[in-house]
Amino acid sequence: MKTFILALIIIAGSMLIYGTQDMPNWGDPQSPASVHVSPYYIKRSIIDTETPNIVSSVLADYRGYDTMGETTVIFTAAIVCFLLLRRRDEDEGDR
Amino acid sequence: MLELLLSKYNYWLYVILMMIGLYAMLAKRNLVKKLIGMNIFQTAVILFYVSIGVKTGDVTVPILPYGHHHGHEQAINVAHYLNPLPHVLMLTAIVVSIATAGVALAVLILIYRRYRTLEEDEILKINQEAGT
Repeated sequence: MKTFILALIIIAGSMLIYGTQDMPNWGDPQSPASVHVSPYYIKRSIIDTETPNIVSSVLADYRGYDTMGETTVIFTAAIVCFLLLRRRDEDEGDR
Repeated sequence: MLELLLSKYNYWLYVILMMIGLYAMLAKRNLVKKLIGMNIFQTAVILFYVSIGVKTGDVTVPILPYGHHHGHEQAINVAHYLNPLPHVLMLTAIVVSIATAGVALAVLILIYRRYRTLEEDEILKINQEAGT
């Protein structure tokens, strides 16, 4: 079983490494991730949101709905932890 | 070949890290070790995204060195700041990974209270004995 898993992982890893041939080079300023919307954020952040920190302006202003969903995730996780870990008196404590 | 290695080695390191996490998730029998493997996997994905935002050359962190009262007239050179978008997305991803780890640890506490063990094969054996 361990050898099967090891073979599976070597196959998956070599396929991923084969796929990196099409990725942009490390630190390429013209990589696809850096030419689409990120120049707009860098240029317009100080004008639109008056915040010098571009990361926080994108997090809380341009993508505020994303952050709202993130707080929903944290709230749900906290509620789930509370519901799972609370003491239930009727269970005679065998959980 | 050496040029390929030097320009893509970050992805290769993250693939190796990701495969370590996947191996821990698949091959380990202890549920806590599986959870640690899941966290290693998530860390590999986060590092991969952050490395996408890197630009070489004369680059600083994406924080402008002036406030909003002045500086509107200055032209902002985009190539002078790192890509802020992967940083923002990974800030969200780190929070989500912490939330999933917390819920998983709560479930592990419940499993330990029920079975008095966290080894996967022992739990399956207890379940089989209870079923027959």
